[in-house]
Amino acid sequence: MGRIFVFGDDIDTDVIAPGGYLHLRIEEVKKHCMEAIYPDFWKDVAKGDIIIAGKNFGTGSSREQAPVVLMELGISLILATSFARIFFRNAVNVGLPIGTITGPLNLKAGDIAEIYLEKGELIRAADHKAIRFKAPSGALADILSEGGIIQHTLKKLGKLPDDKH
Amino acid sequence: MRSKGKSAIEKVFSRLTSKDARSGDFLWASPDMVYVHDVLGPMMLDSYRKLGNPPLKYRGRTLFVYDHIFPPKDSASANNILSMKDFASLNGVESIPAGEGIEHTLLIERGDITPGMFVVGSDSHTVTAGANGAFGAGLGSTDLACLLASGETWFMVPETILFRLSGKFNRFVTGKDVILNIISRIGVDGANYRCMEFRTESGTHLDMDERLAIANMTVEAGAKTCFLPPDVSQEKLMEIQSDEDARISEELSVDLSSIEPEIAAPYSPGNVKRLSDLQGTRVNQVYIGNCANGTLTDLKEAAEILKHNHVRGDVTMIVVPATRSIYSKALDLGLIKIFLDSGAVVSPPTCGACAGLHMGVLGHDQVCISNTNRNFRGRMGDPTSKVYLANSYVAAAAAVEGKIVNPLEVF
Repeated sequence: MGRIFVFGDDIDTDVIAPGGYLHLRIEEVKKHCMEAIYPDFWKDVAKGDIIIAGKNFGTGSSREQAPVVLMELGISLILATSFARIFFRNAVNVGLPIGTITGPLNLKAGDIAEIYLEKGELIRAADHKAIRFKAPSGALADILSEGGIIQHTLKKLGKLPDDKH
Repeated sequence: MRSKGKSAIEKVFSRLTSKDARSGDFLWASPDMVYVHDVLGPMMLDSYRKLGNPPLKYRGRTLFVYDHIFPPKDSASANNILSMKDFASLNGVESIPAGEGIEHTLLIERGDITPGMFVVGSDSHTVTAGANGAFGAGLGSTDLACLLASGETWFMVPETILFRLSGKFNRFVTGKDVILNIISRIGVDGANYRCMEFRTESGTHLDMDERLAIANMTVEAGAKTCFLPPDVSQEKLMEIQSDEDARISEELSVDLSSIEPEIAAPYSPGNVKRLSDLQGTRVNQVYIGNCANGTLTDLKEAAEILKHNHVRGDVTMIVVPATRSIYSKALDLGLIKIFLDSGAVVSPPTCGACAGLHMGVLGHDQVCISNTNRNFRGRMGDPTSKVYLANSYVAAAAAVEGKIVNPLEVF
């Protein structure tokens, strides 16, 4: 169960994780997440919350701090019309669930919804309406379901005990 | 379908995997080279520790570059570099001595990035490799840690958009204007997940510095990678560029002679306006130099404007040669003296102000015109500041007048 935060098109990585803080620890970087457009975002957001955005979410830098701060702040799912390539890739690799959507969703900021990742579905708490999204599939879905590429690589290197799979 | 010729990027992935790689394929591959800078490096080392510090399995070449916050601005940034140097010496990774220059320009200049290679880097502007006919793709830090530990990483083979360039540049028009013009045509996600390949018609040649400017900003159109024709024999070029019958997803023609100086207004590299629409816009800062436009050509262009002019008293102008060698050549040519005499500040090679990291960070409501590649909200500092992106002539001319003007007015 999470609250919906709504953002527009082309939300860039400088907005998500501003350059001036990138040399600091992630605990510090996360306090500046979205500050150029929503200064209190890091205080308002809570575990389980959901971001809904327009096209080209995460455009810009390869800085992995962008998906990581969103995860650290508790974001459990990002839905967007489209994602910029490196952000998409980084999100999969760090295990941050993302999905693409088409058309207007009829969801507004502050709505509460339940996430069913495997089914690619959000259920709005107010009226139990289902909203569908397209999650990564195939090998990328496997990496995501393993919790990111670190787990995937540990398995590959034979470093995860068998009882873990 | 499989009998068709190959695109340039399909050729590269076929070579890396020894398979018939086609656009849309998901595959695991080992790039020819990996380079990592001091902002993502420390995070990469955190991920490497999570993997249990295994021995490096990656067989290509690994290079560490310290350019983003160099010289360090505080103890945190100094310690970041130290942690990378420690890892490098323990694991036999090559470090480029700090201060040599900004990675994307430097690695081409040093001959590390050669035509037909496939390189990855901890930076979105790794696409700049396309200036030398190599394929570069930016990756995040965890990705790179896993690549070093396991020897390979995953890729989707991208589709290709082909740009046919013809004609010659007008006065005060540069490679920067070509790419700004293209981004304004296709949009900031117009090439998302795709390879932007360029082909020059006979009579059109782009020199390395012009190609750097174009390749560098292909990522601002969302490109995964790009390719421009390098200075090699026709035979070698045929070998590495797309075949005539390759599957191309889209084709566009660009007549260089139809392009005027372009300016991207805040807050998007795609928010491109005509110079005449923005004339008179006040600026507080002018910044010349980054991973694509701190070239000798850019410095010459800026110096042409500043030779008989002075930077206005209320404007800060910062010039950053991209590499030590460019700096040295600019000294020999008297360009640095022109900058100093005109009232500009000259900094050592660093990514600094371009990404709001250090040396030239903007304050409240400040306006900068820059020949860099991004003007996102808060990119160069305070969230209320604004950045305009333009070529070096236009940026330098603004320093003289304290506002955006046609370079002809101050020439």
